[in-house]
Order: sequence, then C-alpha cells, then structure tokens
Amino acid sequence: MKPLEAFASCFGGKIAFNSEFIVEKGQRYYLLSPRLKRMRGNFYYAGLYLGKVKNKVFFPSFNLLNMLVDVAANKVVVDRKAAWLFICGRDVLGKGVVKVMGSKRNGDATLVLNEFGECLGFGKVTGDFAGSGEKVSIKNVLDIGDFLRRETRSKE
Amino acid sequence: MLTKQFFLDRYARLGWTFREINLRQSIRINQTNAKGKDLPERLRSLGVELEKASFLPAGYWVGKSRVSVGATAEYLLGMYSIQEAAAQIPAALFTALNGKMVLDACAAPGGKTVQLADLMGNSGFITALDVSKWRLGVMANHLERCHVSNTIVYDVDARQAGMLNRKFDRVLLDVPCSGNFASDKEWFNRRTLADIERNAKVQRAILAETAGCLDVGGEIVYSTCSLEPEEDELNMDWAVKNLGLQIQKIDCIGENGLTEVFGRKLDAQLAFCRRIWPGETQGFFVCKLKKGAEQ
Repeated sequence: MKPLEAFASCFGGKIAFNSEFIVEKGQRYYLLSPRLKRMRGNFYYAGLYLGKVKNKVFFPSFNLLNMLVDVAANKVVVDRKAAWLFICGRDVLGKGVVKVMGSKRNGDATLVLNEFGECLGFGKVTGDFAGSGEKVSIKNVLDIGDFLRRETRSKE
Repeated sequence: MLTKQFFLDRYARLGWTFREINLRQSIRINQTNAKGKDLPERLRSLGVELEKASFLPAGYWVGKSRVSVGATAEYLLGMYSIQEAAAQIPAALFTALNGKMVLDACAAPGGKTVQLADLMGNSGFITALDVSKWRLGVMANHLERCHVSNTIVYDVDARQAGMLNRKFDRVLLDVPCSGNFASDKEWFNRRTLADIERNAKVQRAILAETAGCLDVGGEIVYSTCSLEPEEDELNMDWAVKNLGLQIQKIDCIGENGLTEVFGRKLDAQLAFCRRIWPGETQGFFVCKLKKGAEQ
C-alpha cells in the first residue's frame, strides 16, 4: 500500500486504494475483486497488476499509470511524433509538448499522454518547455514500449 | 522417420488434398479497451490496410502496412491483439460468458485468456493454468498490456486442475498439440506418429481431469491446431463415450467433423465438430461439449 500511495503522490495526486483488496506477493502488488481475493490461493498473477518493489525502488505497472490519469495533477500531452519517439524510449523535446498540466518544476514526475489522452508512460520534468523547443523537457522514465523490450529480453 | 508423403496420404484418406498455404496476419480488437476509439480508422491513418474477417466478430485481416502492427501505440495500449484467425474462434463459441466461472486450462501465452476476459467485459472469474515459466511470464505481460482484471493465473498442470477444488461453468481446452504445417515450415520433418499418440494421450488426460471440474450444464470448448484425427475426432469420440459429455452444434467455418476415421466408425455427434483444413486460416479443429446431468 505504502509504495503505491507514495508513487501516486509524486504526480501531485492522491489515489485511494481499499487495502482490503490489495494483495502483495513476492513484492508485487495486485488489485483483486472480492471474489478473486477470496479464491486466490498460491497464484502466479492475479487481478490487476499494480507494480513491484525491487531493490527498494517501486516500479509501477501500466495499469497503475492508467489509474493515475484521472487523479494526477502533473500531465503533459505530446504531439504524434513526440508520442512515437517516447514509446521508442526517447525523451520528449519542448517542441513536442502540446499542453502542460500541473508542475513544471525540474525533477517532478509527470504522466505523458498522447493526443487522445491515453497514458504512454511517465517521465521527469527537466523544465525546458519554452525557447527553441529543441531541448529535452521530459526525461523518459518508463513508456509502453517496455512491453516490447520485455519480450526481447525474455527471448534472450 | 515418416515422410511428408505419409501425412499427405493420410490427409487424402480424410478427404483433403494438400496445397501450400501462405497465412495472412490477423488481429482481434479488444472491444473493452477500444470502446469508442474507432480503432480500424486509427490504424488506417497509420497506414495499416485492414479487411474485416467475415467469420470473426472482432477479427481483421492485415494487408499492407507502413508500420509493424506489433509495435503501434494502439497495440501497446491493449486495444487489439495479434491473433491468428482460426485461433480467434474457440473462445467465441461459448454461450453467455458474463459473470461466469471460466477455466482456461492451457492458457499461456494468454491470447485466448485475454479474448475471454474481453468477451466477459472483465466480469466473472477466469482461472488460467499453465506450467511453462517462460510462457507464464509472456502471459503476465499480455494480461497487463490488455488491462485484464478478472483472471488468476496458476503455475499448475491442467492434468491437476482438480487440486484447485473449483467447479466451472465454462472450460476452454486449447490443448497442447502437434500443430500443423501451415504455421511450421519444418512440420513434416519433425513429426512422428508416436508424437501424435503421445499428445493425444496427454489431451485425454486433460479432458478427463477438467471434465471433472465442470458443473452440470457447463460447456467445454476443445480445440487444437492439429490436423491429425487422433488429437481431434478420436479424442472427442472418447470423451463422448467415457466422460458423459455431449457434442453441441456450433456456427463456425470449416467442414463437419469426421464420423469415420481410417475405417473406424465414430459417434454420429462427431459431425457437429468443425474441422478447418489449412487455407484461409491455419489448420484447426474445434468442438463444443456440454456436461449433462450426472448418471
């Protein structure tokens, strides 16, 4: 519970989980319906995966990032080209930012949304939203392209 | 070592003449995640040519594409899955999935589990089983990408499903099988009749175990991508005769199941199965069974 709430607060938002339905297994967190929770047993994966703690660092799932879209204060909307580059693991340049909501402070976490308002991942604000727009304004921390990278890693 | 001709002769005796197949790529829209998003139009705007597959409720053929359909934001956001056309058939054959207790007994890598969850609108409860650690990992990614929330996955062999001590309304048995040449260019060089017999035996063990976990009135959909009758009609004939299951009529592409295999007469209900020879899709076999009142 604590890592989830602490992570949400990084985005200037508050997310209220009913602790009764959060299950931790092997430092991985899952949100389960009452029925799933009652029947869970010794599972490998269950319900909605929310994230994991590894070496004391919390790694969110994309389910959790999606849940944050409605409650987080810090969000940026990026244009189509920047969205594509972002899911390829690249940072967002100032010229790719269409709209900024919430913090513009250096180092703050922000969700990165595409033109449809869909969450592509999150990054850290570097503060360069203005000017020529050729400077990095959001440093990529995690993007949905990670699904493909995981696939590649598992094949190796 | 058996030759390619050995299998081609077998297929000819079953009524099919071999021809080379080039499979088309297909996708399935995840209706729950793509709701209100006009996904076909979004993909077309990216340069993906799509053609609706007439026999699939949410399936499209992928034509020429300027981008890889496995790397678009829409794919990574779980709005669609890449799923072979015939493989989209079994999960769609169940009646009334909403709110049901469903067992996906040989689930990884999870394409059909995601489809079931989508058809259920994430309601009810799916129990998904598999034993390969690598495949379970792939499945976990698949479930996360598609935002599935009604599924619990266990590292359990389908032949031990009874240990979960649960009764299910619906059971999907997309059992491990010998496959077919349409999706494996080396298939004829790899397969032997002993393989096929071994797989058929494992499939019967899975059928027997999971039939015991099925509630009275519940449904099993059994499917393979094998063309070999030992894994298809002969196993279904065995299930009808030994497990108290009845085969149900289904509305699906393909030919009637065989009621006579290499001179052996099978139960007349076998005609209700569907045998899909490779052509528009890969080779496939599907059968829907129902559990009647206990004797």
